[in-house]
Amino acid sequence: MILRLGGGDKHIDPMTAGGPSAAYANRVRLDGKIGAPPPRWHTPRSAYIHVPFCRTMCAYCDFATFAGVEQHIPAYVASLADEIRIGSPGANPDVPLETMYLGGGTPSLLEPAQLETIITAIATRFGARLNLAEVTLEANPGFNPALIGSWVNLGVNRVSLGVQSLDDPTLKRLGRTHDAETAIRAVEALKACGSISVNLDLIYGLPWQTLEMWQEHLKRALETEPDHVSLYALAIEVGTPLASQVSSGQWSVPDDDLVADMYDVALPELTQAGFRHYEVSNWAKPGHESRHNLAYWRNEAYHGFGVGAHRYIDGRRSWNVRSLDHYLAAMQSGRPVEEGSETLGPDATPGETAMLALRMRDEGIDFARFIERFGIDPRERWRTIFDEVAPHGFLRVDDSRACLTDRGLLASNDIASRFL
Amino acid sequence: MIPRERIRNFCIIAHVDHGKSTLADRLLEVTGTISKRDLTEQVLDQMDLEREKGITIKAKAVRMLYRALDGLDYQLNLIDTPGHVDFAYEVSRALASCEGALLVVDAAQGIEAQTLANTYQAIEHNLSIIPVINKIDLPSAQPEHVADEVERVIGLAREDCIMASAKTGVGTIEILEAIVRQVPAPVGEASKPVRALIFDSHYDTHKGVVAYVRMIDGQLRAGQKIVMIQTGITADLLEVGAFRPKGVQEASLEPGEVGYIATGLKSVADCRVGDTVTDASRPAPEALDGYQPVKPMVYAGFFPVESTDFPLLRDALDKLKLNDAALVYQPETSVALGFGFRCGFLGLLHMEIVQERLERDYNLNLLATVPSVEYEVLTTKGEIIRVDNPSGLPSPDRIDTISEPWMGIQVVAPKIYIGAIMDLVTARRGEYKKMEYLDEGRVLLQYSVPLAEIIIDFFDQLKSRTQGYASLDYAIEGLRAGPLVRLDVLVNGEPVDALSLIIHRDKAYDHGRVLVEKLRGLIPRHMFEIPIQAAVGARVIARETVRAMRKDVLSKCYGGDISRKRKLLEKQKEGKLRMKRVGNVEIPQEAFLAVLKLS
Repeated sequence: MILRLGGGDKHIDPMTAGGPSAAYANRVRLDGKIGAPPPRWHTPRSAYIHVPFCRTMCAYCDFATFAGVEQHIPAYVASLADEIRIGSPGANPDVPLETMYLGGGTPSLLEPAQLETIITAIATRFGARLNLAEVTLEANPGFNPALIGSWVNLGVNRVSLGVQSLDDPTLKRLGRTHDAETAIRAVEALKACGSISVNLDLIYGLPWQTLEMWQEHLKRALETEPDHVSLYALAIEVGTPLASQVSSGQWSVPDDDLVADMYDVALPELTQAGFRHYEVSNWAKPGHESRHNLAYWRNEAYHGFGVGAHRYIDGRRSWNVRSLDHYLAAMQSGRPVEEGSETLGPDATPGETAMLALRMRDEGIDFARFIERFGIDPRERWRTIFDEVAPHGFLRVDDSRACLTDRGLLASNDIASRFL
Repeated sequence: MIPRERIRNFCIIAHVDHGKSTLADRLLEVTGTISKRDLTEQVLDQMDLEREKGITIKAKAVRMLYRALDGLDYQLNLIDTPGHVDFAYEVSRALASCEGALLVVDAAQGIEAQTLANTYQAIEHNLSIIPVINKIDLPSAQPEHVADEVERVIGLAREDCIMASAKTGVGTIEILEAIVRQVPAPVGEASKPVRALIFDSHYDTHKGVVAYVRMIDGQLRAGQKIVMIQTGITADLLEVGAFRPKGVQEASLEPGEVGYIATGLKSVADCRVGDTVTDASRPAPEALDGYQPVKPMVYAGFFPVESTDFPLLRDALDKLKLNDAALVYQPETSVALGFGFRCGFLGLLHMEIVQERLERDYNLNLLATVPSVEYEVLTTKGEIIRVDNPSGLPSPDRIDTISEPWMGIQVVAPKIYIGAIMDLVTARRGEYKKMEYLDEGRVLLQYSVPLAEIIIDFFDQLKSRTQGYASLDYAIEGLRAGPLVRLDVLVNGEPVDALSLIIHRDKAYDHGRVLVEKLRGLIPRHMFEIPIQAAVGARVIARETVRAMRKDVLSKCYGGDISRKRKLLEKQKEGKLRMKRVGNVEIPQEAFLAVLKLS
């Protein structure tokens, strides 16, 4: 079956959509009754679906990903479809799903029929209420371009490409299987189809990377004219091959100041290319902001399906088992796949929401939204923090919101942690 | 009952690791005081900390019954001596309780500095000394060579040395026989008023303070009312007895005997080492010689890492004090570290032991400031002030002179290290006194060195520069005036009192430079630039800058795993809460520890 994308919503600016629930206040509910739909922070409008398979493991990756077990893909797809049909409790049948994100791993490894199985399950579960404005598929540049048409037919309208770098030696060191040329061709092929918004993931702050190298590769990446870029400062995660290379002395941890310089040189480059910096690590051409990710940063509810997937529904966060074997075994025997959960109390949720909100460069902590959602005026609750941080040029506070400055975004941990 | 003529009181003088505890175990075993089965290695070292550090901290006494080759039964009292220079006074009181000493020397290592110092002290106490060359079973043993050294250095005939291996048991009978034959019986009279020397004590929850005593004159029995002559404190004896090695009650303690008395007192401070016990109803006219109230040599501030632990720290110190008369403390407030205690210790080891005990037994997490000695300040008004805390030093214009304690130190080491030792001592403001060859390979070096230079890292440096071959002993010489100044550290313009120290003027610059450099690496970047300065008075002598924070970011949200991100940031926040705040700068604990490891 083919998904029909939600009509007009697709063209709404994501930055203004999904705002206060007042925006929905006068909608006619699907059962015909008039009334406000449940708030976005309680009832999901988004679904994350995890596809954990990869051809090879990347040196920096510590997600729930597995290489060399492709034989389990059919069983996994079947289990995933089952979970979508029965799992992620608390879904309100009256609330339409707006975004869907197939992340990984490498979802582009799936055959069209397998993708269709998953999307059909979503349609079955959310059925007529499906009104998707954004369907993202994560892909690695080595995918077969012939698949693009089937993706579009299935409703995919956004592809996030794990380019990471346009330097062949770097790609090799990171354990990536593609080269720069392949990546550039992949972007071109996606752009050519005309209906897909393309994101590029790039990593900076690599141990062997110089400022000049970074500038050069960023420039080349922007020449492919993506609609959206995510620039991630490398985090060396415990247990990854890169971490052991660092501890064995093969590489030294990149210098913080150099990494900061890399960020600083990227800012004007991106502005000049017509991108708007809307989140710590994310830049978009107008209208191409990721609605799905905005739901995370606004601390709104979302479904999660698949191994290691997280969900946030009715104020409760929960996550599935991270082991593929456990996930498959549990699904096949009808046991729950949820491994853990937490529910933050009314004291902690505003802080967590602030921590996330500060990631959004222009939206920041929106005072009206906080008052509506929590009955708390951030200017009162966090006055001392604002007073302490603002004079140093890391935070700007005006009548409607508190936002991190460009400097502040790069130091957001220190500042965000104060709100917890 | 064994008559006084057949009592022998002795101790063992040995360097750490030369086998004192193993030999004591062997003596206990051969005399049947303890069965081989019950012999948990090294009975005398009861406390874990002592085992771990391989030293005996507190003196104890064990009574053995030995049927000698002459067919008669003898009462042998082994008085264990503390093995560290911090407890030199306790050693002297243990020696004063004996008539003889076993001088145990490792057959492979030879005589060490402290052995030598203790042997000279034993000779001063007129003890009969029995040299024992131990560990002759070692492949590297050179017993003949070591016997030569004993003869040349100490003046004991080489042929009097008993060749032994406490490990295999060789020589144990010879040692016991030598004790019987060579150590004189104690003198004393039962009819005279009671005099008993306290050489150690510990606190027991049931019996109160239990004091180890050496009887001189008179008799002690349960029920007797006693008085401590020096402190005037009285007590009713609950029990008298001897350790064999467990406490065994006796009808009485007789002249010459060594045993324990249970006093019911609440704190060992009431039963001071060196004091004389007498009968309250018939007191002896004079106390025994040599009493000295314990005097701390090293001072440091102890601060709980969690400021809410302050009452716990106070309770813990109060409890430790019950069993440690040498520990002194009083509340102290630091701008940087909050509420804590200024504590006085006999030496660095004592400090380390107290700190470990507070942390281990009382679950406290402590920050200790740089150890300091006690300075004597003569003010311009002619008053004398004692200062054991840099923050207590008067302003320079009020100071006429500052005097500090100097120590006489002895180092024994292979001669190839003379240069290295000389360099170290010179760098520590030491003065050369003399050098003596112990044999063709080893020397005894004597210097005078300020105590302040010894208490920070001196022993570790000595060990590392001599690859562990040097041994050290020291004793106080007296006070000397010197050009001493207070070095302050200012972080973002605010003085950090816990980082101040008193130092020789010529060393202030180098020390200040190294200190601020190190602090620059330890103080995290803040949202603003932080100058770190070292200053003497108003003069800044070194400066470094911690630049403003630039990158501190988690790029990605891990597919909606917000819990993980929040937990990472919560951890970061907790880390910050554990830091100490001075002005608007958060200083991590490591910064306070770093100053301990400079030089």
